[in-house]
Amino acid sequence: MAEVLRPQMMGARVSRVEDPRLLSGQARFLDDIQVPGMLEVAFVRSPHAAAKIVAIDADAARRLPGVYAVITHQECPIVLWNQESYKVGQPALADGDVAYVGQPVVAVIAENRYIAEDAAELVRVEYQTLTPVWDMRDAIHEKPRRVHEQAENVFFQKSRQTPGFDEAFAAAPHHLKASFRTNRQTAVTMEPRGTAAMLDAASGRLTVYASTQSPHRMREDICTLLDIPEHLVRVIVPEVGGGFGMKATCYPEDVVVAHAAVKYRKPVKWISDRLESLESDVHARDDIHDVEVAFDDDGKIIAIKDHLMADGGAYPAYPWSGAEGETGLAARVLTGPYDIPYLATEIDCTYSNKTPLGAYRGVWGPIASFIQEGLVDRVARHLKLDPADVRRRNMIRKEQFPYRNAARMIYDEGSYLESMEEALKLIGYEDFRHRQAQLRQQGRYVGVGISVFVEPTAMASSEAGEVGYESCTIRIEPSGRVTAALGLGPSGQGHETTMAQILSDQLGVPLEDIVVLHGDTDSAPYGGGTGGSRSGPIGGGAALVAGRQMREKLIKYAAHLLEASEDDIELGDGKAWVTGVPDRSLTIRTIAQTAYLDVSKIPEGMPIGLEVTGRYLPKRPVTFSNGTHIAEVEVDVHTGVVKVTRYAVANDCGRVINPTIVEGQIHGGVAQGIGAAVLEALRYDEDGQLVTTSLLDYLLPESTDVPRIQVQHIETPSDGEGGIKGMAEGSLIAAPAAVACAISDALAPFGGMVDTLPVTPEMVLKMVQNS
Amino acid sequence: MKPAAFQYFRASTTDEALDRLAQHPGSKVLAGGQSLVPLMNFRLSRPDVLIDINGVADLGRLAIEDGELRIGALVRHRQLAESGDVAGAVPVLPLAAKHIGHWAIRNRGTIGGSVAHADPASELPAALVALQGTVVLRSARGERRVAAEEFFQGFFNTDLGEGELIVEVRIPISKSRFGFNEVVRRPGDFALVGAYVERSGPGGSVTWFGLGGRPERLLVDAWPQDAAGRGTLLEELVEGLPLDVSEDYKRAMAVTVAERAYQQAEGEK
Amino acid sequence: MADERVEVVLRVNGRDHRLEVSPRWTLSDVLRHQVGLTGTHVGCEQGVCGACTVLLDGEPVRSCLIFGVQAEGHNVTTVEGITPESGLSPLQEAFRKHHALQCGYCTPGMLLTAQALLDREPNPSEETIREALTGNLCRCTGYQFIVDAVMAARGQGRGA
Repeated sequence: MAEVLRPQMMGARVSRVEDPRLLSGQARFLDDIQVPGMLEVAFVRSPHAAAKIVAIDADAARRLPGVYAVITHQECPIVLWNQESYKVGQPALADGDVAYVGQPVVAVIAENRYIAEDAAELVRVEYQTLTPVWDMRDAIHEKPRRVHEQAENVFFQKSRQTPGFDEAFAAAPHHLKASFRTNRQTAVTMEPRGTAAMLDAASGRLTVYASTQSPHRMREDICTLLDIPEHLVRVIVPEVGGGFGMKATCYPEDVVVAHAAVKYRKPVKWISDRLESLESDVHARDDIHDVEVAFDDDGKIIAIKDHLMADGGAYPAYPWSGAEGETGLAARVLTGPYDIPYLATEIDCTYSNKTPLGAYRGVWGPIASFIQEGLVDRVARHLKLDPADVRRRNMIRKEQFPYRNAARMIYDEGSYLESMEEALKLIGYEDFRHRQAQLRQQGRYVGVGISVFVEPTAMASSEAGEVGYESCTIRIEPSGRVTAALGLGPSGQGHETTMAQILSDQLGVPLEDIVVLHGDTDSAPYGGGTGGSRSGPIGGGAALVAGRQMREKLIKYAAHLLEASEDDIELGDGKAWVTGVPDRSLTIRTIAQTAYLDVSKIPEGMPIGLEVTGRYLPKRPVTFSNGTHIAEVEVDVHTGVVKVTRYAVANDCGRVINPTIVEGQIHGGVAQGIGAAVLEALRYDEDGQLVTTSLLDYLLPESTDVPRIQVQHIETPSDGEGGIKGMAEGSLIAAPAAVACAISDALAPFGGMVDTLPVTPEMVLKMVQNS
Repeated sequence: MKPAAFQYFRASTTDEALDRLAQHPGSKVLAGGQSLVPLMNFRLSRPDVLIDINGVADLGRLAIEDGELRIGALVRHRQLAESGDVAGAVPVLPLAAKHIGHWAIRNRGTIGGSVAHADPASELPAALVALQGTVVLRSARGERRVAAEEFFQGFFNTDLGEGELIVEVRIPISKSRFGFNEVVRRPGDFALVGAYVERSGPGGSVTWFGLGGRPERLLVDAWPQDAAGRGTLLEELVEGLPLDVSEDYKRAMAVTVAERAYQQAEGEK
Repeated sequence: MADERVEVVLRVNGRDHRLEVSPRWTLSDVLRHQVGLTGTHVGCEQGVCGACTVLLDGEPVRSCLIFGVQAEGHNVTTVEGITPESGLSPLQEAFRKHHALQCGYCTPGMLLTAQALLDREPNPSEETIREALTGNLCRCTGYQFIVDAVMAARGQGRGA
């Protein structure tokens, strides 16, 4: 049997099967779900960061024509609370107090959104305001007060130290200290969140349309919180207009909508507007790291000590807090691609009167890379060494794999040094240094930043949940066409295409004969969904496993019907044939018809029909992708405005399923990384008011803010199914650090180094003026 | 984010619009809607009555008469940016108009709307002040003309009276050379700080926007020939402006954009 | 204030639609919920993101910043209107070929802006294309493949 099939779809630049419907305006996103009698929800949200609710008067709202119901915690007494992990949970609608601006307090359900908003304005809520807790360092010390009376502010604490750390740290000849700050950011999917729910009149089951990354996870959460058994709930995920981790969480609004649909037996829908999105989608990256690094005369880093702090906001997002995710993993991968033997970390995550922290693409990574690369550059500058050389001296070498880092994470094989050398070539590093010197003579300040990243992917647990495996059901229809279903929750990654590519190779049928279903708990086998860069390696692995099982069936059929040995059967082009005798062949369609319609000819011992479900649980708890990003920037030292002018990436995510899709993921992550580095910040004032409440205040990169990005692929296969590694987060893990380091490099003549993200024009100007 | 309910009238002549304005105190005029409608969607503006003047052909006139560029209130930013007449008469105007918002915004936004909205960080009100323009206002009571410098009174605050409609702005065609510059974080954003610089004989003026509540035009007797001298002069001028102490960055930017605008004015023929 | 309805006739993609609308309904909401053309997406209702971009008499505008009643007497073109009866337009094909979309939410607005650009300037430079697209935010692609697609569609017209 030939192992490799022709044509190989795996690795091919295939155009996406998703595109025609999206390009013609036919795709169905959440707000496109419309059924007769559907009601719409508007939320009355807290205008205060912290307050007691004295009274709620909704009479006027209830009386407004077109209003169906107005509900408070009293009518919807549900709390999103993971009691195993946290001492507090968020009530779906505020229960007696509010703890952040934008917290849902009252839900108004009306004929349409216009009337719902009219009524929401008529709801009178009387508050007694409290002193807001908004400074992270204060909050950790319970100042000015506890956010929740019944719980300490610090809700997650963890210390870890490599044995022998203190001695090694003390013995090092050089030490540097730095404090790094990342400011709050959020995903800002172009499609805001949304939920619609309705009872199925025939079966009495609840259908929830959810804009989420994880259909089964959402079903679990709805079932747990509403106390309905799973078989009576169907979650359907329509087209999702971007997720980026932000849509991996179950939100209060999801629960209120589902509750209302059940309570009133009416179809109910809520669509977030952009104001709601900025104040109620989970935030991310609100972290401070107080760091010390110890190194020798050659720039070899010996030890890193880090106090990691994160502001988790008012409540843990359900079912877990992003603060824990950001710090917990940052503490374990802080040494990145470098062979740094000693690490000591201490974590404090605190509550505050801000929006809950959740996942945003890369979670821990953009923060840890910013610190790791910032430290390397500080060491280089301190010793007057070339930053690329210092990286070379510290990089984990090929022969060290599998490598156990100072926090005991095991890295499988990657191409760390190779990726950096490739990226340096792409950007033309040597030439750049000449150009940089010449431009400085003319008063122009350009810089490059090198960011070598590792990306833990396909982890046993991630923001998609604790489900470490994925499942794939394949059904070959009597026509020979293929229907496959997975529990993934794509939001633009093109899974319908990439999974079909994998299946096409396994089943020997053309791509256009395969349809991949996802996002419906009624059709998809149980799975973890999309998040933590798991869909390619684990979802793809499941497709491979199931595909192989189906392939074996097809071969058995073909061998039987062609009267040949199974070893001699080949599959391809929708046909099966005997090796070397292409005339002795039959079509997959003939096999399928036999399996369903001509069952007397089914080989002995084979069941009727062609259907399999394969599951894949990777042996490793994690597989590491890697790569290097290099950004070139020009800084206008008179205005402080930074322009990213060139960008190069060498990326290694193991076996690539579709290089074009991988490149698209990289480009998008780099754009988000540029935003993270110089544009995007959610700002609170001292009253705990979010002041960045529109896209004129929260700045996303535009088409002229992102340069052309050169991408080169390197393939170091994993030892898992297909050799696939995940890759969706690496670009956003690496890019902010690359840009930050480039700004530091550009401003080297002025002496300062970037320690805060995003870098604002004002900060740049200060760095220039302080020199 | 949905606007509150309102009554809608579509005016087809200026008089019809003025009648409606007189009848409905508290009504708002809808021109391009690029500033008003966002405010309505946020419910920060909630007029009971909206008078749509987009169908009033007279208000779309763009002409050069009596040594003035006369721009009807409904002239869209895109027309300012692309019109050869405008470029010939007041070259700095299209230069600035190209920086307003994005293409789709420029297609709709009007000079009358921009002037009425009076965002302190927007390009056109400052252009009118820099270019010594006049705002022509009409109401049931008659017409009056107000110098732009007096029309803009503070943050989103103008001399526009109850029942009055901006029908036109007039800009004298001047022999002075003008330059324009602004600092933005992304193209199309409102300026952090911007400046128009006028060079007329040895002196001229500088008009800043984005610094306080309204554009500020300051006279310069004589521009120093050297950049350092200009820097000192500009710093002194900025010191005289009513600014928060916390606005160090804006102060520094004011000098930078004015210098760049000066350079541009010098380059312009 | 009562939410009164007025009758309007809107010409969308070459067809007239007689509708009862509230004056406060934005054009984007009227197109989506009254005309049933859900290809127009709403992203910020503030005119910043560009997802709701449609063509009004051939020029790109924000349909979230125009009230439905205002569109009477004008030609409105949505993404459905630039899609041929079968298949895709040259620009849409280029988007597919160059992987210019991921989640697809910004795509209709992006297509309409790009199409309007190509209609008025058949051979724009990369710089011009990037400048024209600054008002359309995309969170997935980093814009590069969108720019590539528009460049590839130059000189091909609107197709069928």
